[in-house]
Amino acid sequence: MGRAATWETWKPDPGNPNQHVAMLVDTSECIGCKACEVACKQWNLNEARINQEPGTYQSHPHLDAQTWTLIRFVERTNDQGEVEWLFQKHNCMHCTEAGCVTACPTDALQYGNYGVVTLDQEKCIGCAYCEQACPFDAIHVDRNPFNPRAQKAGKCTLCYDRITAGMQPACVKTCPTDCIKFGDRDALIEWGRQRVEELKARGFKNANLYGVDQLGGLHELYVLLEPPEVYGLPANPKISTWTKLWKYAVQPLGKLAVGAGLFGLAVNWVAARRAFLQGQAAGHGESDHAAGQS
Amino acid sequence: MAARKQQIRKFTRPQILFHWVYASAWIVLVLTGTTFLWRPDPHGPAVGLGALLQGSVGQWLRLVHRVAAVVLMAAPLLWLALEPRRVLSELRELMIIRRNDIQYLLVAPLHYTFGRPPLPPQGKYNGGHKLNFWVVVLTFVGFVVSGITMWFFRGVVAAETFRLMLLIHNVCFWLGLGMGMLHIYLTVLHPFTRQALSAMISGFVDLKYATAEHSEWVEEQLRSGQAEVREAPAASGGSD
Repeated sequence: MGRAATWETWKPDPGNPNQHVAMLVDTSECIGCKACEVACKQWNLNEARINQEPGTYQSHPHLDAQTWTLIRFVERTNDQGEVEWLFQKHNCMHCTEAGCVTACPTDALQYGNYGVVTLDQEKCIGCAYCEQACPFDAIHVDRNPFNPRAQKAGKCTLCYDRITAGMQPACVKTCPTDCIKFGDRDALIEWGRQRVEELKARGFKNANLYGVDQLGGLHELYVLLEPPEVYGLPANPKISTWTKLWKYAVQPLGKLAVGAGLFGLAVNWVAARRAFLQGQAAGHGESDHAAGQS
Repeated sequence: MAARKQQIRKFTRPQILFHWVYASAWIVLVLTGTTFLWRPDPHGPAVGLGALLQGSVGQWLRLVHRVAAVVLMAAPLLWLALEPRRVLSELRELMIIRRNDIQYLLVAPLHYTFGRPPLPPQGKYNGGHKLNFWVVVLTFVGFVVSGITMWFFRGVVAAETFRLMLLIHNVCFWLGLGMGMLHIYLTVLHPFTRQALSAMISGFVDLKYATAEHSEWVEEQLRSGQAEVREAPAASGGSD
């Protein structure tokens, strides 16, 4: 669809923060150039990290606290026996029900305006519960033993600072094939469905739109050429049962039990003190209290 | 004034040292660990003290938590190094739960509220001490295994394992906190048992109290000649 379908002029409505925005990556048009990675580093002032694994054209093995978007290369042999690459621009999915926000003990991670999952590093304490709760491996906390205060979570912010100022996210702005689009989520879903039909008509029978329903709806959508698993994306991502049990069962029940326990001890103290004073009056106080001595 | 009260030694100095090192670390760990309790609803902001525990404050608390964790883990080794034989005999005493201990646990809630019914005769450690011992040991194992996994093996173990460790750490927290609250209440505030606290300070406890609460142990100590009995010092010792 190329340039004709550009979304470049689209802006969210500043008067309606409940509007849901999204990014859509049409992987059929991605050429794996990594310009989005560079633009992301540049705009967000993240340091360059040279840690490419040998034997691959992928720039980094995975996302990290200062690498917020990454084109994942899937090298495989297709049905025709040809070697081909599949590209998936990986970053925070801005889930409607996010593992990271569920696990965050502070105000660092929040459900922000426009459906964006926002991260305030000033509030972050570096516990990395978010990193381990994310089903997409999209948020990371550096290990920094010699400067623990530099240990902060980092992830894609959907360029919250740019979009609230009426600009496109940095990666969208720079993409030379316009395969990354930014816009109203509903409109992008509509566009993505049409694109999938078009691709199917052209022979990509496995084409599908990813992110519509996962975790209450992602704000990162993908037109994929193959099933999600081929790209390493979970077909049905979930917030872990352990995380939910911790947050929604053990913590509230624990607080309730401790509160009830404190109340019980207070009641016990009043009753026991009466019994103790009575025992004392009857000559059985203090060390004789234990009625085992009769 | 009547003759000074008689006291019997219950705990040795190394044991007392161990107890307080462990207890101090435990209290620091509980307080710093509460950092994680202030955001009950992910759809809302942190509540209460949570607003004060963010950013660099929370980062310092996490550091203190780790230092205290090392102290807590080292404390049992300290005691073991100081008097290994006694550690073993005390562990043997604490580990074994007898019929009397079960009876004690059934009767104790009523006894310590109303002063009756009478408690069954107990050894050096009663059913409550043994329950406390088992909760401490099991939560210690739970805390150490889950804590070390989260501290050193984040990114090495599967994310799902980390999430389970987080849950285990939290379950241990509530179990340990409940037991700890009861333990502190009984030795600091409860009218019947607060005089037991002197045993963990001077090592000695009032003989009459010990005879009432731990008759089997006192009898055995006196009979075997192992009992270390002294007159209460003028300005210290048990209450009164």
